[in-house]
Amino acid sequence: MAPDSGLFPEEPLLKVLPLDAKDRGTQRCRLGPAALRALGAHLGSAVRISLPDGGSCLCTAWLRRDGADGFVQLDPQCASPGAAVGASGFRGNLRLSSLRLVSCPSLRHLTVWPVLREGAGAPGASNPAAVLEAAQELLRNRPVSRGHVVTAPPGAPGPVAALHVVSGAPSPDPAGLVTPRTRIGLSGVPPSKVEPRPQVPLGGLSEAADSLRELLLLPLRYPRTLAALRLAVPRGVLLAGPPGVGKTQLVQAVVREAGAELLAVSAPALQGARPGETEENVRQVFQRARELASRRPTLLFLDEVDALCPRRGGPHRAPESRVVAQVLTLLDGIGGDREVVVVASTNRPDTLDPALRRPGRFDREVVIGTPTLQQREAILQVITSKMPVSGQVDLSLLAEMTVGYVGADLTALCREAALHALLHSKKNQDNPTIDEADFLEAFKKIQPSSFRSVIGLMDIKPVGWEQIGGLEDVKLKLKQSIEWPLKFPREFVRMGLTQPKGVLLYGPPGCAKTTLVRALATSCRCSFVSVSGADLFSPFVGDSEKVLSQVFRQARANTPAIVFLDEIDSILGSRSISKTECNVPERVLSVLLNELDGVGLKTIERRGSKSDQRELQEVFNRNVMIVAATNRPDVLDDALLRPGRLDKIIYIPPPDEKGRLSILKVYTKNMPMGPDVSLENLAAETSFFSGADLGNLCKEAALLALQENGLEATTVKQEHFLKSLQTIKPSLSHEDLTLYENLFQKQGFSNLGDI
Amino acid sequence: MTQVQPLLAVQEALKQCFPVVEEQQGLWQSALGDCQPLLLSLSNLAEQLQAAENLRFEDVPPLRAFPDLKERLRRKQLLAGDVVLDKLQERLTALLKVRDTVSSHVERVLQVYERHADTVGIDGVLQASVVSPSVADMLEWLQDIERHYRNSYLKRKYLLSSIQWGDPASIQALPKAWDRISEDEHQDFVRDTLLNVSFFLAE
Repeated sequence: MAPDSGLFPEEPLLKVLPLDAKDRGTQRCRLGPAALRALGAHLGSAVRISLPDGGSCLCTAWLRRDGADGFVQLDPQCASPGAAVGASGFRGNLRLSSLRLVSCPSLRHLTVWPVLREGAGAPGASNPAAVLEAAQELLRNRPVSRGHVVTAPPGAPGPVAALHVVSGAPSPDPAGLVTPRTRIGLSGVPPSKVEPRPQVPLGGLSEAADSLRELLLLPLRYPRTLAALRLAVPRGVLLAGPPGVGKTQLVQAVVREAGAELLAVSAPALQGARPGETEENVRQVFQRARELASRRPTLLFLDEVDALCPRRGGPHRAPESRVVAQVLTLLDGIGGDREVVVVASTNRPDTLDPALRRPGRFDREVVIGTPTLQQREAILQVITSKMPVSGQVDLSLLAEMTVGYVGADLTALCREAALHALLHSKKNQDNPTIDEADFLEAFKKIQPSSFRSVIGLMDIKPVGWEQIGGLEDVKLKLKQSIEWPLKFPREFVRMGLTQPKGVLLYGPPGCAKTTLVRALATSCRCSFVSVSGADLFSPFVGDSEKVLSQVFRQARANTPAIVFLDEIDSILGSRSISKTECNVPERVLSVLLNELDGVGLKTIERRGSKSDQRELQEVFNRNVMIVAATNRPDVLDDALLRPGRLDKIIYIPPPDEKGRLSILKVYTKNMPMGPDVSLENLAAETSFFSGADLGNLCKEAALLALQENGLEATTVKQEHFLKSLQTIKPSLSHEDLTLYENLFQKQGFSNLGDI
Repeated sequence: MTQVQPLLAVQEALKQCFPVVEEQQGLWQSALGDCQPLLLSLSNLAEQLQAAENLRFEDVPPLRAFPDLKERLRRKQLLAGDVVLDKLQERLTALLKVRDTVSSHVERVLQVYERHADTVGIDGVLQASVVSPSVADMLEWLQDIERHYRNSYLKRKYLLSSIQWGDPASIQALPKAWDRISEDEHQDFVRDTLLNVSFFLAE
């Protein structure tokens, strides 16, 4: 509709205004005189209005009280089923062409299917005569159309809530007038659903869906068996999981599949301002669910239940405890013959009142974690199934890239890619296809939502392995212990290897420990979290420990992940060395030890399915790897250094001559060098220089060249290097190195390397 | 000039209709006025019924002498209640008659308008002067009046049909509920409309 609106500039647009209170229930459509004249209608003519959402409604034309043109007010009392609800809140513009005058012959006969009001309050609900009379009253002198629904105004008495117009003679298509002489009949069968509701696709949630489906369908399919067994069927489920994993969507999909009624309530919406109002709202919701359940299986869905039922106790929480108590009694009282399945969802199950989480209230707890690799692939398949995706897009690769993305993020990713394809593809505007490049563009924009609030999330400047001079064997070791298990899990399983938990890099300062980690993070494409003392330490008791454990929890939700602890000696204390009281660093240490090699995980951190055949691939992605760097390995706690925790300890030596040469080459890559410069000689003369020292040396030499030759200096000559070599002292000393060497010899680590 | 004739015909029909409405409104009000005391007595009866229900006859020595006192009393009260209900039913029939009379008249006016609608045109129905409102307004008022009677009758009918002797508390609340129906709808609506057209009728 939108694109061709510019083609008819002369066609007047009618602004839709809200209905006057007086006109409610009159089925009037108030128009200006010009519009009436254009339609050729007189007062009371039947007008069929096509609504922008695809529905339509039938009204009688009347003049606006003020006679102004360009506005329309309509009472959608007789409208197509979907539009009946939406039109009252509809704002915007209607084009005059969407209004159509229809002929409206008197009907001899009309058949309707009544929708009765719920609740015991409606008198004579079961009495067909009363229903018929109410239907006659409701329909009297109204134009109706086949397939439309005539709704009773909200305040009106009587047992009928709405009437579906099924058929009539002459057929009320497009319209027919009900007169006092029209015979009205009631149809026993509801009209066939005009439009089946669209299926909500569900990717990667099959296990949770099975569990829910069982609860809903078991009492429906085998009522006698269950009665014979005297079994009370579980009736409550608590869905827990991070935001955006599809808890709400799961419920919707299962309900639709089972053909049950869904009553979805957002818990915050139940909160009232006055004391007692919240409780009353809660009672009303449960009452309504019970009414619905008397007809068909019903699922009451309480979204974000943690807002409604926080942990009781503590000062100033009396109002909240009352609400919790109300929910508890309703959940219990609903037992017995109830048909209502109560499903609650939360992403903070630990803040719920413990009394809620017992059988009889929420019998089952289904934890939906961040999707795993397979689940992500399934979700992507579902999302992209209806998109014009080009054949080259490799969904499994995409799934591999989207670590830590939940369903909502993946949807956003696909939408962004589609948008990119639409806006940037020059060639075929009508028939755009989405290709790999679009996804990669979108990938830059969409951050995983579960990762947005993570402590210590780093934006790393990419560093390639080749940008680090020397240290070839260290690089190999790092790749072996970190990159390989992430990239080739199958081979590791085949060889019966387990993944190392952590790696400690130690060595004298300035020898590229941090840069190595950066290169590592660049090369193995996983979540990278760097924690420093600034993130951890806080003036509150227990806060540091909490933060550290939160870092690990969030990292585990986004596996594979690397947690990098730089200068670990300053963060952690050592129980084995300082014999003082237990202070903060020591407590942080104990948290770290637990996180590295604890008994197990918290239940809410469960991800994926437990009994999975494809566990093979997933097994290495379960864990978080920790990389620590220090230049004082001697002060670390012994417990930390044992296998199973930081089990791979890699010494990063100061560069040897060859290493220094390659470092110098890296640093001087962008410098204009004089022909006489011999990097080999320099490398030979700079023993005890660390990588950082060498960088400094090159910088000094270049500055010296600028100083001597003024700003028009073009090359850096050998003399500059030699001159600056005289001023710069190496930061490493023989004593330092012997210290590291002794440490190594005592503990028997790998080769120190030759200097 | 061709427009004038049909317009006059519609106005003539309106002139005939409004006096009928005025007359029927009087009947309606008087019927409603009759209902009020009846409802009050019904509510009193319900109160008595409830009091008798709560009393334990065997505990009161003077009453113990009469056999089956409780049952007899109840029967008597219910009989009295039925008499009142019958009277209410009569009033309700009167209301129904008012409703039907108004409906048929309004319908006739609309038919007259429809017959002449094409010749009168939109401008014709919009013509208004100091003494006479436009035809469009008057037709709308008539429709609203008719619906007002219809809704009002329906609500009262459902209220009376919901009476159950098993639930005395709701009967006691009956006069209040009845009043609330009158309050909910714009009570002076018909009278206001009639005032609006008084010059037009006097013309």
